[in-house]
Amino acid sequence: MNKKMIAAMTAAITAAVGLSGSIVMASEAVPTEPFGDTVKYDPTVEINDGKDISVELWEWGSDDLFQQVIDGYTAIHPNVSIKLVNNPWEDYWTKLPLALSGKNGPAIFNVHNSYHENLINYMAPLDIPLEDLQADFTGVDAHVIDGNVYYIDYGMMTGSVYYNKDMWEAAGLTEDDIPKTWDEMREIAKKLTIKDGDRLVQAGLNFNGDFHQNYLLGLNYQLGENLFQEDGKTPNVNSDAMKKVMQMLVDMYEVDGVGSKDFGEKGADSFGQGQSAMVIQWGHYYNTLNTTWSDINFGVFEIPTFDGEPYAYNRYNGESTFGINKNAPEDQQAVAQDFVKYFLANDEAQVTFNLAMSTFPAKKSLAENEEILANPSLKVLAEHIDRYIWPGPMPATMETTLQTAGQNIFFNGMDIDTAFEEAQENIIRDMKNSTFESVESLYAYAE
Amino acid sequence: MFKKSYPLQSRSEIILRNIVVTAMVIFFSVFLIVPIGIAFAGSFHEWNPLSGTYNFLGLDNYIEVFTSELFWKSMLNTVIFSAVVIVFRVGLGLAIAYAIYSPLVKYKSFFRAVYYMPVVTPMVAVAFVWKFMYNPQIGTINQLFHLDINWLMNPSTALLAVMIMTIWKDFGYAVVMYMAGLYSLPADAMEAAKVDGANAWQTFRYITLPLLKPMTLFVVITSIISYIQAYVQILIMTEGGPGTATYLASYIIYDEAFVKYNFGYASALSFVLFVITAAFTMLSFRVSGTEE
Amino acid sequence: MRKKTSSIILNVVLLLLGVVTVYPFVWMLSSSFKQNKEIMALEQHLLPQQFITDNYINMNAHFNFLRFFANSLLITVVVTVIVLYTSTICGYVLSKYRFRGRNLLFGFVLSTMMIPWCVTIIPKYSMIQHFGWMDSYKALIIPGMFSGFGIFMMKQHITSLPDEILEAARIDGANEFYIFHRIVFPMSKNGISSIAIFQFLWTWEDFLWPYLVINTQEKQLLAVGLKMFNGQYSTDYGALFAATAISIVPVLLIYLFFQKQFIAGIAASAVKG
Repeated sequence: MNKKMIAAMTAAITAAVGLSGSIVMASEAVPTEPFGDTVKYDPTVEINDGKDISVELWEWGSDDLFQQVIDGYTAIHPNVSIKLVNNPWEDYWTKLPLALSGKNGPAIFNVHNSYHENLINYMAPLDIPLEDLQADFTGVDAHVIDGNVYYIDYGMMTGSVYYNKDMWEAAGLTEDDIPKTWDEMREIAKKLTIKDGDRLVQAGLNFNGDFHQNYLLGLNYQLGENLFQEDGKTPNVNSDAMKKVMQMLVDMYEVDGVGSKDFGEKGADSFGQGQSAMVIQWGHYYNTLNTTWSDINFGVFEIPTFDGEPYAYNRYNGESTFGINKNAPEDQQAVAQDFVKYFLANDEAQVTFNLAMSTFPAKKSLAENEEILANPSLKVLAEHIDRYIWPGPMPATMETTLQTAGQNIFFNGMDIDTAFEEAQENIIRDMKNSTFESVESLYAYAE
Repeated sequence: MFKKSYPLQSRSEIILRNIVVTAMVIFFSVFLIVPIGIAFAGSFHEWNPLSGTYNFLGLDNYIEVFTSELFWKSMLNTVIFSAVVIVFRVGLGLAIAYAIYSPLVKYKSFFRAVYYMPVVTPMVAVAFVWKFMYNPQIGTINQLFHLDINWLMNPSTALLAVMIMTIWKDFGYAVVMYMAGLYSLPADAMEAAKVDGANAWQTFRYITLPLLKPMTLFVVITSIISYIQAYVQILIMTEGGPGTATYLASYIIYDEAFVKYNFGYASALSFVLFVITAAFTMLSFRVSGTEE
Repeated sequence: MRKKTSSIILNVVLLLLGVVTVYPFVWMLSSSFKQNKEIMALEQHLLPQQFITDNYINMNAHFNFLRFFANSLLITVVVTVIVLYTSTICGYVLSKYRFRGRNLLFGFVLSTMMIPWCVTIIPKYSMIQHFGWMDSYKALIIPGMFSGFGIFMMKQHITSLPDEILEAARIDGANEFYIFHRIVFPMSKNGISSIAIFQFLWTWEDFLWPYLVINTQEKQLLAVGLKMFNGQYSTDYGALFAATAISIVPVLLIYLFFQKQFIAGIAASAVKG
């Protein structure tokens, strides 16, 4: 998501996996019966005729998580050994395509859809009937390319409101005060704001550093406006909906005074520091709060809407299933195909991955899974999970250009119209060579 | 170029020269000229080596560079950034090296080690540390001076803040260089000055400084080359923001190449930047009068 | 008396500057023993309130620290030694010999330093792949054998060596190989030490190139291992600072070691003078 974290280390996720490490899948008895919903995995079928074979799996940051699935798989097929290679997030996206274009590429690799364009040419389509995937998983249609599917989402991540329960209580608020609309949200934020004269002591709401990801790219859907125009290629950044969202952000700080552009470098950190009462963050923040900011007593609620009946609640993004290297030797590809099928059919693996990433399962049968609903950041999504839109693997310029536009408005005194007009032009220029095409029209409730 | 009359050359000189020159030419051709050539060819294409795109565009990339407002704005930032940092790096470096060199200072190796520490620390880590120090709420700088400035997000302080950090990180390099230069000064020249009754300032101004000229030239030129290519501090501390206030030319190149994967455009930017760097370098040689 | 006062003032100023220089460094080292929560906490203390060593211990859990360390040391020493030799000999030829195309060659060496690495690293990668050097230390050592910076530095340095000494040796019948190895090389100690310090640092720190060309885990370098914690969503500052602290120790040691060489160099010239 954030491509620019050069020197970040030990993702919160790694730590979260460490905590949830008690869910050990491999320790269970090795399955002997076929399992799965429509996509079924039959453990009795031999792989590579029972002969020894070794394949590599490349991923970033979550070795423990992947090792659990690998252990479960190799317990069924002792003749297969899967070598896990951990990579640093940022540079993985340079090394992986280069390796895939040569002879040294791994047979299986972890995928993030923001790097779709550089990977898709090296991927083999999944060996599973499309209808079967569609029957078991949501959002499959958005991944169909010429009738083939190369990877799908195992989980969906989106934004929710995280609030500090202690501050909430101190302001005399109760569960009943949880806002449903932005107007209510703004009133609550005012109540949660504490000032010492003109100086802000506690911000009611903080969106510094991530407003472009968590508000600008998503709330437009609430107003019935897509991020891309009908041709699926032209950005729709200079739209009334987008400007309305931006205006609301400006008003929250400058009219309501519930926060300030200079108060807390990043909203996410400020919330953790106990300086801000509410933030809108995506699912991964749940892990960050549990690992880094374990002292904060927080709750989660669904993102507010403008009128209670939005076209869609927000944008979501998927965590992708593994890619299969089409240039790998046939026998290795066969193992890779089998491994992906095992991963998709295996509910435990699905639950573990979704909990570790704080994503809502794309597997339909897991929508009401107890373990999933025990996670408050996922529970709030359950009711309207079908009302979120994935625009497709958007080029990075959508995020970075809107960040620049927002900063120009907040810090450089530019007006909204000029900033968004400039952003629209810049995105068009950046995307002129892109093969991206929006899949917003595949939204189930598309008008 | 003038025809020079070369002194008589011995056989061993010719052999040594031929070996070294051949090795250099081969090495630089293979590992630098070939990749640079590939990149140069790429600058006329829509080129993404990761996805395998390579379509001829002609001069489009260059036209885009020259008409890009952002590039020229960043170029201005780059010139300001480089000039300020180089002046302070050279000035501080020389002053401190001279101070340590003077007999008035005792613990010479202690100071040398201390000033050199930031130089050996990777920029990535240093940039994060300074980002914390500039933090408006929890940063050391605001707390120490009782200020309330959002250093990295205020368009009038952001570039300054990055420059201060860079000077802090790099002046030790100049100290080390000048120390090496000072210790190589011919002792007889200094003695002669003393005998002639020159005072400390005169010795410095008329003997030391001119003798250090090759070193100054070296520090200035390597600084120009490295600052025109500086981007890590921007990437970590401001991401070019607020807005585009701290964009440096090389940050655009990094962004185009490794974030947007427009290697063709990034290459075109690089060659334009190369010409500008080369011009500044030549200028430095001219100004210093080393016309060889 | 006046001398004493100015000595005190000078020392105090240097010391103050030293404090400014070292403070961020101390902050980083101290933070490497803190939890992230504390590093980012509103209440800032220089010393850890809750002292933890997890940031260091976790490193070894993620990769074989000693192995990576040894690999890095090997590669860095080999590359540095080669670069010292090639830089000095190229510097000698470029500064003391006169031949046609000399300035052109020097300008060419200099200009190679002006192209940003961003655009050449991928072509370089394809070449290494073509040569079949992937996953071998050849890919790390051979492209690093000559350094534009080193050649430039040594050219500047050797230019200032007096020609008379070389001429005297030539008159005594010494050949050029002897003159270079026995006279020029020892006399260039200060310059060589400076390059050693920088070259060691650059090779030691270099991350992207070794990451791209080395695949086998057992051959990987420390700089790559230390980035292995790279987070997708958040920065683990404590781990970053711990990794940085550990990785700069050898570089500092090299510096302290070569600093002695400086002093030896001075002593030698003092005796001579």
